[in-house]
Amino acid sequence: MKEWIFTTDHKRVGILYLIGTLAAFAVAGLMALAIRLELWEVGPGILSPNQYNVALYFHGAAMILGFLIPGLTGFLANYLIPMMIGAHDVSFPRINALSVWLYWFGIVLALLTFVIPNPPDIMWTGYVPYASQYTSGNSAFYVFTVHLIGFSSILGSVNFLCTIIYMRAPGMGWNQLNFFVWTIAGAFVIQLIFVPVLAAAVTLLLLDKYFGTAFFVPDSGGDVLLYQNLFWFYSHPAVYVILLPAVGALMEIITTMSRNQVFNYKVAVYGGVWGVVLLGSDVWVHHLYTSGLADWLRIGMMVTTLIISVPVGLLTISLVGSLYRGSIQYSTGMLYAASCLFLILLGGLTGIPLAMTSLTLHLAETYFVMAHFHFIMGITATFALFGAIYHWFPKMTGKMYSETLGKISFVLNFIGVNVTFIPLFGIGVEGMPRRYYDYAMFPQFQGAQQIATVGAFIIAVAMALTFVNWIHGAIAGPPAGKNPWGSASLEWTHADSPPGPGNFPTPPTVSEDWTPYNY
Amino acid sequence: MDHTAEGHAGGHHWEVSIYPFIIALGIFLLAPMAFGLIFEYKMLGIGLAFFVVGLICVFIGVLGWVNEAIGQKELGYSLTGLPIFIVSETMIFLSLFSAYWMMRLSADTWPPEGSPEIGVVLPVFMTIILISSSVTFHIGEGKLDEGDKAGFKTWLLITMALGLLFLGCTIYEYNHLIHEGFRWGTNAKSTAFYSITGFHASHVFIGLGIFLFLLIPALRGKTNMTFTMAAGTYWHFVDIIWFFVVSQIYFW
Repeated sequence: MKEWIFTTDHKRVGILYLIGTLAAFAVAGLMALAIRLELWEVGPGILSPNQYNVALYFHGAAMILGFLIPGLTGFLANYLIPMMIGAHDVSFPRINALSVWLYWFGIVLALLTFVIPNPPDIMWTGYVPYASQYTSGNSAFYVFTVHLIGFSSILGSVNFLCTIIYMRAPGMGWNQLNFFVWTIAGAFVIQLIFVPVLAAAVTLLLLDKYFGTAFFVPDSGGDVLLYQNLFWFYSHPAVYVILLPAVGALMEIITTMSRNQVFNYKVAVYGGVWGVVLLGSDVWVHHLYTSGLADWLRIGMMVTTLIISVPVGLLTISLVGSLYRGSIQYSTGMLYAASCLFLILLGGLTGIPLAMTSLTLHLAETYFVMAHFHFIMGITATFALFGAIYHWFPKMTGKMYSETLGKISFVLNFIGVNVTFIPLFGIGVEGMPRRYYDYAMFPQFQGAQQIATVGAFIIAVAMALTFVNWIHGAIAGPPAGKNPWGSASLEWTHADSPPGPGNFPTPPTVSEDWTPYNY
Repeated sequence: MDHTAEGHAGGHHWEVSIYPFIIALGIFLLAPMAFGLIFEYKMLGIGLAFFVVGLICVFIGVLGWVNEAIGQKELGYSLTGLPIFIVSETMIFLSLFSAYWMMRLSADTWPPEGSPEIGVVLPVFMTIILISSSVTFHIGEGKLDEGDKAGFKTWLLITMALGLLFLGCTIYEYNHLIHEGFRWGTNAKSTAFYSITGFHASHVFIGLGIFLFLLIPALRGKTNMTFTMAAGTYWHFVDIIWFFVVSQIYFW
């Protein structure tokens, strides 16, 4: 026990991240089920309006800040990066341990939502002036959750950028890195630059609410849109913090399971990953199309938003291209990865109408937006993370999960997400506003809402099966061996399953013609 | 010493350190818990108790961490890590400045009504103090490089005294302005003034904290060149930010 709580080893820190992210995912998932049940029928249901707001708050905040970002950067980066680059640990192991515990206390603070009087009810966005003037909820806990998890992310960025710069195995050049390492580098550059802006935004909210400053009070010379600008200046790039490592993980799974190179490696790295990082900072106004900003700003950002589909397209082409003439084997991880190629398309293409200022006037604040970002973040990124957990499960535990149960749960999951969210696109286009507690004025949408609720429960069953599979596999699965997938990447070829302290029995060196994709 | 985390390649046992956990716990108690209890739930006594316990945890944690790490082989990663961290810090200041610019440039009249004249003599004096403290720390670093630990301690103490003098000036200035009725919530100018200068002052305070944890081991004869240089880099950064604060807040 002591060796876990006080560990500074990157693999154990990674597992601690994983436990935290899955806990956040489970509770936030239960909130989603409560929300879906509430929307089953027109009129008040199982939740009071206030409980509904708290459920929406917790679902959003915990899924993004507690599950997706820490799962894809915290857990995956911690577990994989040092091994992929052939290092014995990260460059600052103690700071790494500090990161994970700051994150855990952030989760604890978020979970306190359910026991404190006046829980926060301000969505995960915390928009002013509601969050700073009108709510009777405890906005401070929201702000400090962002602070704790944000500080943890910044420390993680410093740590991993240093690790990638200094601790690569002797002989490992930049173009020999695993694709996942590049995506993590890109994601952490974004975290490093943009998280502080979110931290500043919520700090100003805190000052306004508790100390009476005037940042967001128009009467005293403040500006409400200042908050939205600062908030989305971080929170749009945060989408890429989630997307990039997800694509990286997908690329590793796809290349391994189809015995192939990364298709267009250099284009995908220097154009795709770094293109997203560069352009990602200049698109945030597409979240504010309907808030009355100047036309030059809205149209300018419409152009950049449309242009960013080019680097994202490069990444997608590489994902698909890596299957080309491969010898494909379908493990559960590969099924998740392959389904992402479809889901990323559905989520990505529905983003294009939302990038247009004119169409967004109609679509803003409807279920269309909600279904769009659930497809791209909630589903594609989650499927990528789940695929990654399945793929590296033998490495983490040294044991094998049940492939049959994995495939059954995958199929249920895939059906569930589509049943849940595809109808919501439809009612969104027809004008159903999102976030509403009661939709008495739109009774015609009750059917679609009920289909979505059924879908949500299919997902819940699939998730429960998945968790059972992992827990059972980790305790009682058959031994997996060092390299069950026959991968050429260092964490499979040189490290035991599970790896011991220091990762490698002998520190690896690589030659000039080595790549992690030599099949 | 080789049982600790950094500077130890390919070990045969799981490495541990209790201090990161203690610091995280301390931060959790002293920031969210204490703040929530005091300002949201109006429980001043319990809130202050959480604050004090949290502060003690952070102090013990940092002290133990420094003690554990200071004797290790110096790999010098911090000299890259700290500048990377400073990128983040810069962005926080930039966010605060953009809030200030947005409020100021969209205002009809500036300064808004009810703002007293803020003197420029004191900030000039404070600038001189802060620049001198960067110079004195640099001299101290040089002494340590030559192996003169006594000289290092002397110059470190001088630097800390200058930093404290700077904070004293800030408190004097705030006190003066508050007596003239210029409080945080008075208007847009007071909001920007107190948050930006206050945020900078908190960085001076953190810098002094780092110096304290350089000083405590130094008094027992333990020093570490990487740690000293990283602390110096942070201090110079705080110094440079001050130029922006002065030029934007006092002389514009």
